[in-house]
This record gives sequence, C-alpha cells and structure tokens, in this order.
Amino acid sequence: MVLLELRNIEKHFGGVTALRSGNLAVAAGEVHLLLGENGAGKSTLMKIVAGIVQRDGGQMLWNGQEVFLRTPAEAAAIGIAMVNQESLLAPHMTVAENIFLGREERSPLGWVNRRAITEKARRLIEQYQFPLDAEWRVDKLSPAGRQMVEICRAIQHGSSLLIFDEPTSSLSDTETQQVFRIVRDLKARQMGIIYITHRMDELRAIGDRVTVLRDGGTVHTGNLADIPTDQLIRHMVGREVAQIYEREHLQPGAAALEVRGVSVVKSKLKDISLTLRKGEITGMAGLIGAGRTELCRAIFGIDRIDAGEVLVHGEAMKIRTPRDAVKAGIALVTEDRQISGLALRLPIGANVTMANTERISRFGFLDLAAQNRLSAELGQKMRLKAASPAQLAGTLSGGNQQKVVIAKWLFREAGIFLFDEPTRGIDIGAKAEVFELMSELARAGAAILMVSSELPELMHVADRILVMRQGRISGELARGCTQEQIMKLAVMEAAA
Amino acid sequence: MKLKAGMLQRLLPFLSLIILFVALSIASPYFLTANNLTSVARQTAVFNTMALGMTIVIISGGIDLSVGSILGLSGLVGTMALEAGYPIVVGVLAGIVIGMLCGFLNGLLVTRLRIPPFVVTLGTLGIYRGLALIFSNGLPVHKIPAAFSFLGEGNLLGIPFVAWMLVICAVLVHVVLEHTRLGRYAFAIGSNKIASIYAGIPVDFHITAVYAIGGALTGLAGMIEASRLMTGQPTAGQGYELQAIAAVVIGGGSLNGGEGSVVGTLIGAFIMGLLSNGADLLNISNYWQQVIIGSVIILAVTLDEVRKRRAV
Repeated sequence: MVLLELRNIEKHFGGVTALRSGNLAVAAGEVHLLLGENGAGKSTLMKIVAGIVQRDGGQMLWNGQEVFLRTPAEAAAIGIAMVNQESLLAPHMTVAENIFLGREERSPLGWVNRRAITEKARRLIEQYQFPLDAEWRVDKLSPAGRQMVEICRAIQHGSSLLIFDEPTSSLSDTETQQVFRIVRDLKARQMGIIYITHRMDELRAIGDRVTVLRDGGTVHTGNLADIPTDQLIRHMVGREVAQIYEREHLQPGAAALEVRGVSVVKSKLKDISLTLRKGEITGMAGLIGAGRTELCRAIFGIDRIDAGEVLVHGEAMKIRTPRDAVKAGIALVTEDRQISGLALRLPIGANVTMANTERISRFGFLDLAAQNRLSAELGQKMRLKAASPAQLAGTLSGGNQQKVVIAKWLFREAGIFLFDEPTRGIDIGAKAEVFELMSELARAGAAILMVSSELPELMHVADRILVMRQGRISGELARGCTQEQIMKLAVMEAAA
Repeated sequence: MKLKAGMLQRLLPFLSLIILFVALSIASPYFLTANNLTSVARQTAVFNTMALGMTIVIISGGIDLSVGSILGLSGLVGTMALEAGYPIVVGVLAGIVIGMLCGFLNGLLVTRLRIPPFVVTLGTLGIYRGLALIFSNGLPVHKIPAAFSFLGEGNLLGIPFVAWMLVICAVLVHVVLEHTRLGRYAFAIGSNKIASIYAGIPVDFHITAVYAIGGALTGLAGMIEASRLMTGQPTAGQGYELQAIAAVVIGGGSLNGGEGSVVGTLIGAFIMGLLSNGADLLNISNYWQQVIIGSVIILAVTLDEVRKRRAV
C-alpha cells in the first residue's frame, strides 16, 4: 500500500531552484533511502513532506488523496513526523514530558497529570525497548537518546510515516545499531520510513528501496538490491561541469604550511598530516561531519590542538588564537560568512580593512580616505558589485559578500588561505569569479586549502585532493581522479 | 522617493528635538530664557556625559547597568579626597580614575568570566553601591571647598562650564569612535564578535578598554553631580543607568551592537532633558513625566526598527 507519493515537486527560494522535479513513493512497512549530494534537494523535499516549507508546484498524495500541508502541525495531524538532525526538544523537561509536550492529559481542573503521562511513556518505552527512562531529563541524554525521544513522540502521536534526516551522522557505532534496531522494529509494525543518509556503508544494513536526487530532481528510484553502490554514487554525482572551472596548473613551490600528526580531542581529529605548498591549491573532500571544518579551525587557532604541530614556512608555530594565525599570515574564509566572516552592519570599507587596520593608520588615527581608496581599488580588481566602500556589507549579494571576505585577507596580504566551502550559497557566475581569484592567488605564490563538498568543483580547481573521513585523512588523489574514487574514500572503510 | 523617506526617518530624532524645542518655546514663555536654557544645560550635563560613555559600550555590543553606582562611588571618593584637603583638580581626577577602574573591572569580568555583560554589571551595580555606602558609612560628604561648585555651576565666557566640558567630551568620543582603531574595533566587535576574533583583533583587550572609557566618563559625571549638589552622596545616581541607556537608544544606538553615534546620543539625551524641563514648566506632574519619557523610548526605537527593516 502506497502511503506517500510525491509527483514532480518544485520549490524555489528567491531566484534559486531547490527542487525542479522531486518524485518519491513510499509504502507502509518499507525503509526508503533518500540519497544525494549536499544541496541536491533532499532536505527541502522532506521539509515539504513535513509541512515545514510549502511546495511551489507538483503533487503530494497521502493515502491516495492530494494534500497541501501548511504547518508541521498539519503534517503531524495526518500522521507524518520528522526526526531532526538538531533536536527540537525542551531540554529541561523529562523524557515523558517531552513525549507528551502539547498533548498533555489534563485533569478536570486543568492540571497536567504528571503521573499519568510518566506511566504511559514508560509503557511505550518498554514496548519498543528504547534505552530510555521516562523520568530522565532530556538535556542529560546523548544525541542518540534525544532522537529516540523524538521517535517515541512520533509513535505516541500515531504517526504512520517517519522521516529520518541523517540520524546517525553524530552517533557512535553502538548507538547507530540501536537506531537501526528501532527502525527495523517500526518497519515490522507497518510504518513507512524515509531515511536520508550520506553514509554509503550503512545503506544495505537498513534500506529496502532507494531514491536518488540530483540538482533538485529524482534521477533514480528502485529496489536497493538491484543496484550496486558504485552505480548509486554515479547517480549522485554524475553531472556535467562547465568549462569555466578550468585553470592552469603550476609547479608547486616550497612548503608554506605543514601540519604534522595533529589531533584534536574535542572535534575528533586524529593524527592529521598535510602540507600546503606555495602556488598550489590543495582540495579537501569528505562528508559533512568528516572533520574538514574542524581541521581549519584547529589550524587557525580556534580549537586547541592536543597533539602534533603546525609549521609555517618551515618554522614550528604555536598558534593558540586566531590572532596568532593572522599574524603568521594565515587566512580563514569560513563556510558561513554571515556568522563568522562579515560585520554585516558595517560598511564594505570597514570590513575590508578589519584584519589590517595598521595599513590605514597614521599617527594612531585611521586614514579614512586611504581606507576608501584602497577598498575601492581592491573591489574594482575583484569586480565587486557595490555602489561605494560606504555601502553596508549586509546589503550585498552572497557572491559579493564572499568577495569582501576574500578582499579582507588580500588587504592583510596573507600567504596561506584556508577556504571552507568558498562557493556555498553563491550563484554560478560568482563561483567562477571566486575560482579565478583563487587561481590568481596561487599564481602569486599563495598556498591554498580548498574545502568543498562540490566534487566537480574540487576536481577542476584543485591540484590534488585530500579526502577526510571520520576525523582522519583517508587518502590523497592526484588530479584527474574520478568522483567515484573520491566518494569511495569519503564513505567506505579503508581497504584492509 | 524611497531614499528620501529613509533620509527623513534617519533625521527623525533631530527633527523631533527641533519640534520639541519650538513647541516648548510656544507653550511656555519662560522656556526660551537664558536662565532656563542654562539650567537645562546644567541639568542634562550629568546624564549626557554618562550617555557618551554608554554609547561606546553599547556600540561594542555590551551594556553597563552599573553606571549609576559608579557615579555614586566616584563622586563620593572624589569629594572624600577634597575633604581630606587635596586640590580640586586632584579630587576630580580621583573621581574619574575611580570610575575608570570600576569600568575596567566590569570589562575584565565580562571578558574573563565570559558572562553576559547584562549579568556582570547587574552584579557590580550592587557591589559598587555597597562599596560607596561602606566607605562613607552611609553618610554624605559635606566639607567641600566652595570653589568646587565651579565645575557644575560656574560659567566660562557666559556659558555654563559643564557645557564646555560636554562639548570637549563629545568631540573626543566622536574622534575615538570614528577615527581611531579602538573605535573601529568597537564597531566591529559589536557588529560581529566572531568575525572580529577571526580577523585577529584583540577583542578582549578592546572590550575591556571600552568599559574603562565608559567608566571614566561616568566618573566625571559623578564629580559634576557632586559639584552641583555640593555633597558627596553615596546614594547618588540611582536609576541613572536607564537614562543613559535610553539616550543612546533614542539616538539610534542598537542594543545588538554595531550601531550608534555621539550626535545621536546627544540628541537622545537632549530630547529627554527637554521633555523633563518642559513638563516642569508646564506643571505636568513628575508621575506623568515618567510615562511620557517611557513612551518616547518605545516610539523612538520602533521608528528606528522600521527604518532598518526597510533598509536591509
């Protein structure tokens, strides 16, 4: 019996198309895997199913009837629930209170009957053998525990379709096994399950059918048993890449940054070694959560390094703060420029000069004329589309904001650049310009690390590609490698 | 057209000040007299000086709830120095230095303990007030040389001395904010602290400096207050923090940080000063004054928010 059917779902955010034809059919009693690269549209599609965002086109059938869900409450009312990556529970309340949140049983006087809900929660937990206690406080639970509370809640609310968005991305192996057991149990009870994952190694342990999304459209759907993993990966990544990413590749120069045996306990980085050379763009691939951003943070002095050392131009450096890193000539272009890259309420000129006010200081005072002249020059060189250096950074488009961030580090004359997802959220034209800037930097002798989840971009821009998996570097690939090779290193256990 | 509307709204605080001024001139014949205007200048000097300090703190994304207590403590210690026979300049400097130390300690606590400034300064509000009461045994200081009254009540070239002081402080703070790295960093930290840290700015140092400057200006305000009353009151300045914050906010400063200006703050402070003076002249009860000023704060911030929402 088909529970949910999606036909040609479309969704646009402003000018950006997130989904152009999302198709998916889920039956009761099946675990349906939803695969795709970052940005393929999986999360958007599931948010439409869960009533969090509304579709712009296409049909959604629930038990054969067309429905249009405006809120998550409407979705919950017909039996659709989502287990989120980030827990949406009330942390200071108990497991039982969270399960019944918003649906408390009240006595005739309007009191919440705490004993009754605790008892009911306890029975539910026993029935499904969750490793939980009804009276535990939610903020004392692990991420896995919180997910289980969300699952309990969905069952209690009578859901017949449960969506898991990367449930195991932050779980240990044991916890993963627990989640799997519960998913199988729910399946046996004729619940429909949609399961989003990036971990190719767990697909076959859990899935029955599979749908692959790419660039906002469904490219494959079928039984999991009928398709080898290699082919699934090809479906996920197979796309033509425009020629604009092509660049000349230079002979790399001396080592600018060497990372030797670096481990960070907090962010689970283990024994990482790499060398960035002048004039070379080193790519870094890996799944979300593999530790790529965490590595950038460690090099840049944001997170403390517990073991290992970092050498800059051959000299061992104690980089304890971002300030130390900036002084050593390192630049970090973060993956989220609005949160950590730009002062949005300040003018472009102030942002560009922020990391190097020495350059515009005369006798202790800021030379504002020099600031505006130099920022305007830099902006012109970078083809920044802005009225003047006085324009507020927050009013620029994503691509132009990214250019301001890069301009800040050019103004600082940094020699080592860590780019974390440099093209996130910017349009195709601006992407090409950002790559052109990176190429120019490399030509001028900068050493560059480019972290990206966009494999085609990495393959065309980087001189070589390092791949990370679960806090370690799992391999290095030369130019001309295939996406399949990268994905294998990113998702699979290293061959024995 | 849109741009024009934006300009109009940006100028709104200034226009309101002028309208208020004109309205009061018409409503009360006594308003436009030299006597009244100098008395307004004197009355508002204390709040205005404090508000200048608060401006820098708020721009950097902080807040200082302890300024009322700092004012009391520095005024007390300054007058105690005078009572002990030190020259007037030394007494005034002592008040300023005490204010600066209090601000410095606030900054230190905010940056070292990593507790929100709202909480830190709520705590020091009590601590500084308590210290003032302990030092003075709860008794005011009275034995002050008569010449000390010049600071708050004297005239220079026919204009109240405090007005000169205010102009000098305002120019200094404006220069610091707009033309020095300290000011630039205050804006940067207030607009985006993480980005500032990542840009290599010594954020903790500058946050501490900002609170110290705010404290020094409050110390000066404390001495002005003491000079006007000719007493060192350990209880002086209670509730003044709200006046100072209100002036900054009416003048376009954002409690989220990254926004604010000296000119805006002064306009905000004068609007409040005129409202209170006008209410006195028009025999509006003190009770209603509070209602009026409270409403103006909400109105001003609402209008400012509307402008910003449209702009971005």
